[in-house]
Amino acid sequence: MDLRAGDSWGMLACLCTVLWHVPAVPALNRTGDPGPGPSIQKTYDLTRYLEHQLRSLAGTYLNYLGPPFNEPDFNPPRLGAETLPRATVNLEVWRSLNDKLRLTQNYEAYSHLLCYLRGLNRQAATAELRRSLAHFCTSLQGLLGSIAGVMAALGYPLPQPLPGTEPTWAPGPAHSDFLQKMDDFWLLKELQTWLWRSAKDFNRLKKKIQPPAAAVTLHLEAHGF
Amino acid sequence: MDKLSPLTPVSPRISFKSSLQHLDLEWTVQNLPHHQELKMIFLIEISRIRTSNIIWVGNYSTTVKWNQVIHWSWKSELPLECATHFVRIKSMVDNGMPPELSSWSEWSSWEEVHAQNPLEPNALFVFPKRKLVEEGANVTICSIFGSNLKDIFCYLEGELIHGEQLDSHILTFELSNVPFVRVSGMNFYCVEKPTNITDGIVLFVSKVLEEPKDFSCETRDFKTLSCTWSPGVDTGLGWSMQPSQSYTLVESVSRERKHCEHKNVCNWKITQELQEIYNFTLIAENHLRKRSVNIFFNLTHRVHPLAPYNVSLESIEATQATLRWKVLYHGNRYSLLCQVELEGEGKVIQSNVSVKVSGEEIFSELVPDTEYQACIRCAGAGHFWKWSEWNCQKFSTSEAAPSEALAVWSTVREENGSCIVNLFWKPLSKLHAKGKILHYNIITENLDKPHRVKLYSASGLANDMKLTLDQCAYQINVTASNSAGQSPASVIAISGDSGKEVEEERIQRTEDGFFVSWKPLSADNIIGYVVGWCVRLQDPLCDLQWKNIGPNTTSTVISSDAFRPGIRYDFRVYGISTGRVASLIEKRTGYYRELTPSMNPRVTVKNLTSHSFVLSWTDYSTNDQSGFIQGYHVSLKSKNRQCQPGFEKAVCSDDSVCCKYNIKNPEQKTFTVENLQPESHYEFLVTSYTRVGEGPNGTFTAVTTPDELSYTLVQIILPMIFSVLLIISVCYWKSQWVKEKCYPEIPDPNKSSILSLIKSKENPHLTIMNVKDCIPDALEVINKPESTKAQVMGTEKPFLAESELTAYLYPLQKEHSGPGPWICFENFTYNQSASDAGLCGHIPVPSKDLPWQQGLLTQPDNLLNVLEGNCEQPLREIPAGEASLNYVSQLASPLYGDKDSFSNNPTTTMPEPCSDYKMQMAVPACLASPLPSKESSLSSVVLLDQGEHYH
Repeated sequence: MDLRAGDSWGMLACLCTVLWHVPAVPALNRTGDPGPGPSIQKTYDLTRYLEHQLRSLAGTYLNYLGPPFNEPDFNPPRLGAETLPRATVNLEVWRSLNDKLRLTQNYEAYSHLLCYLRGLNRQAATAELRRSLAHFCTSLQGLLGSIAGVMAALGYPLPQPLPGTEPTWAPGPAHSDFLQKMDDFWLLKELQTWLWRSAKDFNRLKKKIQPPAAAVTLHLEAHGF
Repeated sequence: MDKLSPLTPVSPRISFKSSLQHLDLEWTVQNLPHHQELKMIFLIEISRIRTSNIIWVGNYSTTVKWNQVIHWSWKSELPLECATHFVRIKSMVDNGMPPELSSWSEWSSWEEVHAQNPLEPNALFVFPKRKLVEEGANVTICSIFGSNLKDIFCYLEGELIHGEQLDSHILTFELSNVPFVRVSGMNFYCVEKPTNITDGIVLFVSKVLEEPKDFSCETRDFKTLSCTWSPGVDTGLGWSMQPSQSYTLVESVSRERKHCEHKNVCNWKITQELQEIYNFTLIAENHLRKRSVNIFFNLTHRVHPLAPYNVSLESIEATQATLRWKVLYHGNRYSLLCQVELEGEGKVIQSNVSVKVSGEEIFSELVPDTEYQACIRCAGAGHFWKWSEWNCQKFSTSEAAPSEALAVWSTVREENGSCIVNLFWKPLSKLHAKGKILHYNIITENLDKPHRVKLYSASGLANDMKLTLDQCAYQINVTASNSAGQSPASVIAISGDSGKEVEEERIQRTEDGFFVSWKPLSADNIIGYVVGWCVRLQDPLCDLQWKNIGPNTTSTVISSDAFRPGIRYDFRVYGISTGRVASLIEKRTGYYRELTPSMNPRVTVKNLTSHSFVLSWTDYSTNDQSGFIQGYHVSLKSKNRQCQPGFEKAVCSDDSVCCKYNIKNPEQKTFTVENLQPESHYEFLVTSYTRVGEGPNGTFTAVTTPDELSYTLVQIILPMIFSVLLIISVCYWKSQWVKEKCYPEIPDPNKSSILSLIKSKENPHLTIMNVKDCIPDALEVINKPESTKAQVMGTEKPFLAESELTAYLYPLQKEHSGPGPWICFENFTYNQSASDAGLCGHIPVPSKDLPWQQGLLTQPDNLLNVLEGNCEQPLREIPAGEASLNYVSQLASPLYGDKDSFSNNPTTTMPEPCSDYKMQMAVPACLASPLPSKESSLSSVVLLDQGEHYH
């Protein structure tokens, strides 16, 4: 798992700008109708930003957990993390996903992951770590809203949570601290995989919906930040 | 059960606490008598894994009643989940007899404890699941695994560790003296390869709880006790394993306790009934440990008063002020001791005042016009605990009149009959000024006319004043004024006596400064001496400094931070007479530190000959240098490296060999370098030197001596050239005169050669007519184109046909109608045709100069012929006054007003401008006839009617 703390102020500034513009996603503001293209692009940018942000957060959090969780080749079984939504999917299956399903899976995954992530905040003993986690949760909430905006722009309904399937965080007596740490480890890993997959999803969606010339333009704009 | 012997423990029931690793036993004793208590001893055996593996045996003594359930607990080092434990008990009555004499009951049956369910073949567990220990503790960790798992690897904090095989499926790990690593605990896990089945635990190691340090309580207002302490390290851990240690305050006198919200401070409310004695215990605790500290005190001994308030300064005068303040009232029995500090003028004065409610302190002997700061703080008077915070107030005393007379000095010079006095005074020190000096008053009193008093005023910032007095016998009083009054007057007198001439002496600076001494004057007349000097020589007023010295002292040391090296300072010593008149008695001059000269003389070369030249630097001032100039070095370099007499060989500044001559007289500013070779190259450099050393390295100036021959030649040729030039100048100057004499532009007839020729050949009596001899007559110019044309047709010459304009000129014969002698003024412009025609009548003037005419102009002989051949009447025969005068204008255009008329004849040349004067002479009238042109036009000539006459 390649979760190394890195920092790039340029990237941060770029993506903060994206976040700033999240409320202005046309899909959410139905005043104009520029199509779903810009909101898909911004959602894509947001996933890239969150990837970067998570790299820094995961580094800090895994160091907090201590070895072996911060060792690069540590690969424990999932155990309690089985309930986490899996980002890994067969390539053919992934290709065959239609837009609605693709977006729905993303939305559902981040809804669950956000909930688990909030539980992570309770374990943190240092104020600094709690602040970082809270900041990331806010960003992830923004991504969720952005995906919802894209779905709305495309006319897809938001998935309704099934009763009784609300994800819970229950580190009870049966759940040892070590297994809890393993779950945290898997949560961060799965989150990273999901962000990577989402970038692919939104890139695919972007190319599919936008004409090639517009895609080139948007690509250049993204580089221009 | 009935088969059991009496008092055998029955129904042992075992339970365990996983978190504490406790094994809890409960049993009863069979067949105990009713209402009877027995003192009994129980022997307990604990086996692990199998009954035969007894790991612990121990006694437990207690008093047992009938039907009583007995509890006993045992703590296992090994996590109970890792192995099955067996327990059995037997008992006996403790009747005081030795155990061997007493009889034990039978053993109870083995009770088995399974803390963990039977393992599945692929199961792997590590215990204890949650373990909290203090730093330095010993911990046992065990791992159990199913029958299918073989290769188990266990890691502590990522490091592989090897355990002890307790059983085929149990591994134990003894960790001793565990350290604190992080708040999220140490990670221990085991993994089975290659199935990657993993389990682990987090071992939470807490830091050891420290005893609170510096525990102390105090009150500021007798309402609240504030207890503070240093908490030490935080023992909180993550995963809710252990929060930070908590603190509880317990007061044993009142038996009250309070949980403290903060980790280093706790406020305790003082009850209404004033409790004087307090016994506080501060308890710090976490999950593992409890620590406490205790203090016992009297409340009045722990009073930290609040800062005094309402601090004010009243009745502030020049030397006195009153400070008043208030403190919080703590009852009649409790008073405060207040410390008052007055800070000002760099000094601090302290005093103590005992206060219950309010206090007062009077400050006296203050310095006028001075800023002070009064500060006050208080502490308990009976028992000192802590000072309150300071409360400070600033104030300034008012001004008082200056107490000291000014130190005054002056320089005097006479200018145009007036006396210019530059008056200087030193500003009063703050101590003596006693306020801001607003202005200085200067009163001048004429000593000769005591009633002539004049008042001047200078700004409070001024230190000098220039006075112009009508004479130099004045007494000057100077006073300084502030808002409160005036200083005593300083008196200085000046006189017109310039005093005697005093010779200046040089002095050397000592370590302390310039030592200036002088010969004492008669003590009766002298009230003191003054030594004056200038600090900044460039300033017009030079920042004059002076030092007053008593009458009995004849020397002083002048020192100042303003003295600079390389600057020459002049000191003047004045004696002050009883009339306060200063007279110069000594002059001293010296350098604070002499330096080498900053510049070398600028040398000019004079009198350069083939054997010598003179160097001169007369404009080099020896007084303005960085030290006393002691002389000059003349360095000379030549190719042959031979030194002239008086020179010495030396190494020059550029490391070359040169010859040096030392001029030891600083006033000698010329030097003749002699014994030089002609036509040789020399280089010289003149440097000045002081006591410290020579001037800066300069560049040598090159001089080449001339050769002797050229020198001689120069001596001869130069005067010759001068003479020739002089002659040429004279010649040029006289050239006009020579020209006038030799070849004038307008010949004088009297000097004409023609005349001499005529005289010699024809008529030796021929004379030149004087203009005054001429009788002027009128001339009339008539234009008669037709008649004249017809008249002259017969005698027309070919050239006339070409003339387009013709003017006729003939004399008007009013009085002399008959033919008579003619007097002609010759103008070749007009009379040339006349000479050509050979007529004495009207002759038309040709329109152009023909070659033969030009020949006439240029050849006097032709003219001579004309005169000889055509004029029959000699001029001399014409009687004056009767002759008709034919006048031809010399300024008017000869004939033609329209030059266009020439365009038809390209061969016709333009006549010369007619403004030129030609030689004029008297000619016979026959020659002065106009020559009409056949195509003359009225419009193109100047026509005068017959009635118009020229005079």
